[in-house]
Amino acid sequence: MGSTPYRILLDALDPGARAETGLPELDHTPDPWESSMQATCECLSWRGTLDNLDRRHAEDALGETLYHDFPVHTRSAVVTAHELLDRAVITEEELRARMDAVRARLTRQ
Amino acid sequence: MTQTHDHDHDAHGAIQSSSGVNEFEVLEQAVRELAIEKGLFSAEDHRRFSEWAESIGPSGGSKLVAKAWVDPEFNARLLADGTEACKEVAIDWLDPTGVGTPSDYTYFYVLENTPTVHNVIVCTLCSCYPRPVLGMSPDWYRTPHYRRRLVRWPREVLAEFGLHFGPDVEVRVHDSNQKSRFMVMPMRPDGTEGWTEEQLAAIVTRDTMIGVAQPKADWTATSSPSAG
Amino acid sequence: MNRTFGIGDRVTVKNATSMFHTRTQAYTRGKTGVVVEFRPDWVIPEDEAWGRDTPERGGREEPFYVVRFKQKDLWPNYTGFDVDTLETEVAQRWLDPAKEDAK
Repeated sequence: MGSTPYRILLDALDPGARAETGLPELDHTPDPWESSMQATCECLSWRGTLDNLDRRHAEDALGETLYHDFPVHTRSAVVTAHELLDRAVITEEELRARMDAVRARLTRQ
Repeated sequence: MTQTHDHDHDAHGAIQSSSGVNEFEVLEQAVRELAIEKGLFSAEDHRRFSEWAESIGPSGGSKLVAKAWVDPEFNARLLADGTEACKEVAIDWLDPTGVGTPSDYTYFYVLENTPTVHNVIVCTLCSCYPRPVLGMSPDWYRTPHYRRRLVRWPREVLAEFGLHFGPDVEVRVHDSNQKSRFMVMPMRPDGTEGWTEEQLAAIVTRDTMIGVAQPKADWTATSSPSAG
Repeated sequence: MNRTFGIGDRVTVKNATSMFHTRTQAYTRGKTGVVVEFRPDWVIPEDEAWGRDTPERGGREEPFYVVRFKQKDLWPNYTGFDVDTLETEVAQRWLDPAKEDAK
């Protein structure tokens, strides 16, 4: 497991954001992308890339340390990406390029 | 103009994106696309998981389709007057049932798929959805991602759900911007000869009635795709 | 109100400016399609949004139509196929007979 956070993931966080500090903030209705991420996590586990239990342990560990400023509901996305990067399943360059393309697609007219 | 009221729209009827796209939404999609391209799982795997996780409520619609498949006269009644035909499966659009509300209106039309026409539904303005027959709308249906892009790049969006058509099939998008509510009647798949209405209804899943999937004899969305 | 258009008529969506609560999408303005179905006379959304949701409450009813557009007519550089279409519902007040030189 890597010991440093990935820049591409840190950049995703809004500079003004802070992780939730109280239970009321954790009572959060999932956004659609969160539900989609959950399905991705299940598929990664089912098809053998990243086991659900390993991922959940990583979410706890990394969520409390490297990515402690991230809201809890973003942990699955950030930590799953981190794990895939650590295992060299994807590279930072690939992820950056794809995020640029997706962002452009979501904002183009 | 307030952004929070469902039926307030700006003068151009456009979906206003916020000042920036949500970076986590971008991250999620990027990871999913890379994973699919690298063969870690398929788009259909993902779609099925999402569908299973949210499997509440499309049983009314499924019954309508199954009944239409086995009974040509019901098929004709359903296509001629959807609202009235719903009563034959105990759905009354005028009676809020817990998923139907006054905002669902009472003009319900079933869109029949054929070998040359594939229908798919969207509401660009506010995510209207035929809740009395399909239950609550899926999360993705409500996203600007789907609503803005299905009308503009429908084949790309369908491909993200694992659905592809050649140039001989008309992809017909229905944007339910007024009082009508729509449901797609998918084509009956091979391998279902002699099935009962119940068996047929089980394979008419929510996504097939939105138009982002086609029924298969082996998929009922009632258990996880990885369960056997 | 009399129906101005019949099934099969080619119609163009007006480019009118709309102040409030229209449900005529921006992407259809100025575009030409064909009437494929009638819808009932409905109170126009411009009135409904202000609580004038029935004729008794001052809501103006008029015929609605289902208009089918070729996607290649709606979007520049449409990336699908020529056969692709989009249908949506339009109030009579938003429609003109298709202009001769409309694409």
